[in-house]
Amino acid sequence: MSADVRTEHLVKNYNPGVARDVLRDINLDIKEGAFTVFVGPSGCGKSTLLRAIAGLDDITSGDLYIGGKRMNDVPPVDRGVGMVFQSYALYPHMTVRENLAFGLKIKKADRKTIKERVAQASDMLGLDPFLERKPKALSGGQRQRVAIGRALVQHPAVFLLDEPLSNLDAALRVKTRIELAKMHRSRGSTTIYVTHDQVEAMTLADNIVVLSPLAEGATTNLEQYGSPLALYHKPANRFVAGFIGSPKMNFLKGMLEQIGDSKSRIKLDTGLSIDAAVDSSGARPGDKVEVGIRPEHTVMLDSPRADNKITGTVQVAEHLGSESFVYMDVGGKDFTVKVRPETPADMGSQFDIGVPADACYLFDAEGHAFPRTGQFSPGD
Amino acid sequence: MAMVQPESVRYRRWAAHAVLIGFLALIIFPLLMIIAISFRTGNYSVGELIPSNPTLDHWKLALGMSIEDANGRIVPPPFPVLLWLWNSVKVAVITAVLIVCLSTTCAYAFARLYFAGRSLLLKAMLIFQMFPAVLALVAYYALFSRISDYFPPIGLNTHPGLIFAYLGGIALHVWTIKGYFETIDKSLEESATLDGASPWQAFRLILLPLSVPILAVVFILAFITAITEYPVASILLQDESKLTLAVGSQYYLNPQEYKWGDFAAAAVLSGFPITIVFLLAQRWLVGGLTAGGVKG
Repeated sequence: MSADVRTEHLVKNYNPGVARDVLRDINLDIKEGAFTVFVGPSGCGKSTLLRAIAGLDDITSGDLYIGGKRMNDVPPVDRGVGMVFQSYALYPHMTVRENLAFGLKIKKADRKTIKERVAQASDMLGLDPFLERKPKALSGGQRQRVAIGRALVQHPAVFLLDEPLSNLDAALRVKTRIELAKMHRSRGSTTIYVTHDQVEAMTLADNIVVLSPLAEGATTNLEQYGSPLALYHKPANRFVAGFIGSPKMNFLKGMLEQIGDSKSRIKLDTGLSIDAAVDSSGARPGDKVEVGIRPEHTVMLDSPRADNKITGTVQVAEHLGSESFVYMDVGGKDFTVKVRPETPADMGSQFDIGVPADACYLFDAEGHAFPRTGQFSPGD
Repeated sequence: MAMVQPESVRYRRWAAHAVLIGFLALIIFPLLMIIAISFRTGNYSVGELIPSNPTLDHWKLALGMSIEDANGRIVPPPFPVLLWLWNSVKVAVITAVLIVCLSTTCAYAFARLYFAGRSLLLKAMLIFQMFPAVLALVAYYALFSRISDYFPPIGLNTHPGLIFAYLGGIALHVWTIKGYFETIDKSLEESATLDGASPWQAFRLILLPLSVPILAVVFILAFITAITEYPVASILLQDESKLTLAVGSQYYLNPQEYKWGDFAAAAVLSGFPITIVFLLAQRWLVGGLTAGGVKG
């Protein structure tokens, strides 16, 4: 009970000829049984893409295949998809049991099958004590599980979740996230999950699809499609680099001083020069570039790996116990670094931090990433 | 709930109660007067509020029983009041049911489906509704007399014809129900669609059960409008046996003789079905039906 999902040059426009495309040229190949997360800021069309796969919104052009079958004109119920809505969309006038059984009843499944499947789902999600209650007598987390259960009883080949955790409080969100991961592992059905929370994306996904709001003249708003770590270490562009990772990557503008196929030298606008382990052989010295440095990819100045030094003024320091974040001002730009716990950083004082060359990302004026030749990992 | 309040608020509360009680008295007084007239001896509009010499004669006549007058003569009931009442209830119930059916389906289309001219139609309906039906009486008569020529069952002097005429007044109800539908999260129906429900099933199994309170309101409003309606009914109905109570009770008031007592009894009688319908429908007027379905 699983199917692959494929889109070819998918375009969605709610008002063709008048409005701008919401989705443009989306090409995805989601393998059978994979857990794929659509992520992006609000307005990027991630929910629209999910609704297009579910069949709740039609496709303007391009093709959608589920299980190898073209689904463009197939009504939602025949696509073999189950969906959990952001708002849960439970039927308020029905009990939990009736909510779970509704779809099977509509499809005229026999009573035994309905009973079996409802019992199975309710057992799996721990809904047994609540079966005779109406949704208004349930807590947020319980409603959430009913919504998941309602999709599960249909035995969908593709399981669609639209920001399922966004209405839960922080603790419950982490718990449900883990449950979802377990559930996917045990059931193994293709799962597509929409979120704007990149932590959810990183923790749950086999593959992440990063979408951006379509820019003027852009050929697509699919920024990158790959595994979480590929996106983290080898972002295709500045958008993905800035979106994946928490806290966000720091960016410093500059120009190429010295190009090379394994090492490049960049002169920052602040006056400093930085060595970066990137292949800039395709560019020319003098080209405008942007250096990206992740907050967690910095080292103390006394480290042998401190190839570059960044100096700034401390604005705020946050001590979380297990780690500390220092928010600095570097030449008028915000710059965040993660440092050892309880590193002294007084407000307004000067703060120096070391940046290894292999921790640097480099983007050209259009935001495309230069290939990295090294990969920093803090443990080394 | 028992919030501590300053002295001035308490005085204001007394004042508010005084105003409300005065207002209630103003509303109830005419009703009490009509009830008093219906029990008063003779057919006079003025007299004591609590009749010193109460009689059931007016009520007997209204309920179709003969009475004995002062000279010992048996007076048969002059008009079939109970039949009129039955006519009124029949017309009003059927009208209300049909109006609820028509306006919910119509409101569903306006609330959920997208078609050309949608907002124009909505506004046009509302604007046409603003002209009083009285202005169109001639047109009503002409139309139904023409219909009589081709299809008498819904023509002049028939109840179906009257009901047909009443069905024209659904625009306000469509607006009311549409407004309510729009408060119900669309994802409920989308979810039903994914569960395999056809649009009709999503409408009937999901949207309608959640809309019961507003349907009850529309039913009551349509019922009251139909049962109290006078102008159109007085034009379309002609036989005495087909009249509604609102039209028929006017027969008591002819220029030669205003039978206020008999009229009052018939008038009080006509209030009963409305009261009963309201009491029955009240149990459906509940809030919170959609609670718990969606969050966010």
